[in-house]
Amino acid sequence: MKSNEIFEGKPVMAFDNAADRRNFLKWAGIFGVGSTLVAAGVTRPFSASAQGGGDIDILNYALTLEYLEADFYKQGVAAKLVSGREEELIVPIRDHEAAHVSAISSTISDLGGQPVATPKFKYPGPTFKSRDAFLKTASTFEELGVTAYHGQVTRIKNPDILAAAASIAGVESRHAAVLADLIGGDPFPAPVEATKSMAQVLKAAKPFLK
Amino acid sequence: MNRRSFVKGSAAAIPATVALQMMSTSAFAQGFSNDVDVLNYALTLEYLESEFYRQGNGAGLLSGTEADYLQQVGADEDAHVAALTDTINQIGGAPVEAPAVDFGESFASRQSFLTTAHVFENTGVQAYLGAAGFISNPDILQAAAGIFGVEARHAALIGSILGLNAEDGVYMGATETPLTQAEVLKAVEPFLAGMGAMAGGAAVTR
Repeated sequence: MKSNEIFEGKPVMAFDNAADRRNFLKWAGIFGVGSTLVAAGVTRPFSASAQGGGDIDILNYALTLEYLEADFYKQGVAAKLVSGREEELIVPIRDHEAAHVSAISSTISDLGGQPVATPKFKYPGPTFKSRDAFLKTASTFEELGVTAYHGQVTRIKNPDILAAAASIAGVESRHAAVLADLIGGDPFPAPVEATKSMAQVLKAAKPFLK
Repeated sequence: MNRRSFVKGSAAAIPATVALQMMSTSAFAQGFSNDVDVLNYALTLEYLESEFYRQGNGAGLLSGTEADYLQQVGADEDAHVAALTDTINQIGGAPVEAPAVDFGESFASRQSFLTTAHVFENTGVQAYLGAAGFISNPDILQAAAGIFGVEARHAALIGSILGLNAEDGVYMGATETPLTQAEVLKAVEPFLAGMGAMAGGAAVTR
């Protein structure tokens, strides 16, 4: 992975104006599984001013994290480390992360950007050897994902992208709470979600990137 | 745990003169004309949740880890009420008062308490997502997003301890879905006592 391509997002302004903000509501529900803004019949919802490189950089950053999560759960579920109710709770997480990869990739393309390629991942030896190691790593990834999304809230310029990112971030919060419960952690570490910068997230994710 | 206030210092970015037409009963009036409107809308929902858990947690329906979890959920809602109230004051607005509530038979059993809690939490998630686009101050947006995520945690955990299906129970799909004010009002209306007095609210139900 070329981290300088992905983590080079520049600070961006908040929405240009109130009208941009209000567009948020209009598009906030259409970022569903397998659907993109184009698929939903929204061909050019973005003003020219909102198509700068900043948002695409942020989307590629999110995409990289989603690639990592999707790959991680694919391997973890395949390793048959969880069963019963735990498996029932984990399998949809795997599917969500795959859906996030697909949706973010499509959106980057729709915006005229180039989705980053899937990085090669590596996991510490014991990761898929036991239920505990799998779920503990999963919890770490989910909490990291939550803080990564929340760290970009005020840097995203395009309201539609912000809406889409928020709609994904909420699901990552759900995952984080469920995983914390499964490993005996704290599902509610604070009354407001914490944030992490790209640099902080990269540092945490780097051990998993080849 | 540090249950801190948020958006410290955000007042500097807010115009000194903010229209203060909000009345205590009009938090559900159609549309938001400024950030105070959005915050008061959120505050009304948080008041509802806070009081709901105060009564529910006081009813002795839960035990063990479940009781601990729901105590924490209630404490989060209290923190949201305090933080939203502080923020509205910081930016020169007038916080709405707590609405009169009536939770009916919600506290008849563990099942009814948690089932109603699950509805409140999911509605809260959808309300924040639906209102976020109306927020203009980045600090307030950051805080609202941060609360939104915690409501999603609550919703998932409560769905989980209820033993609901993973999908459409614990999770609500790969992405969250927003609700408009009118839709949120419809969902919480049964718990608001004296809705007839809510002129603004009545308008959106016509």
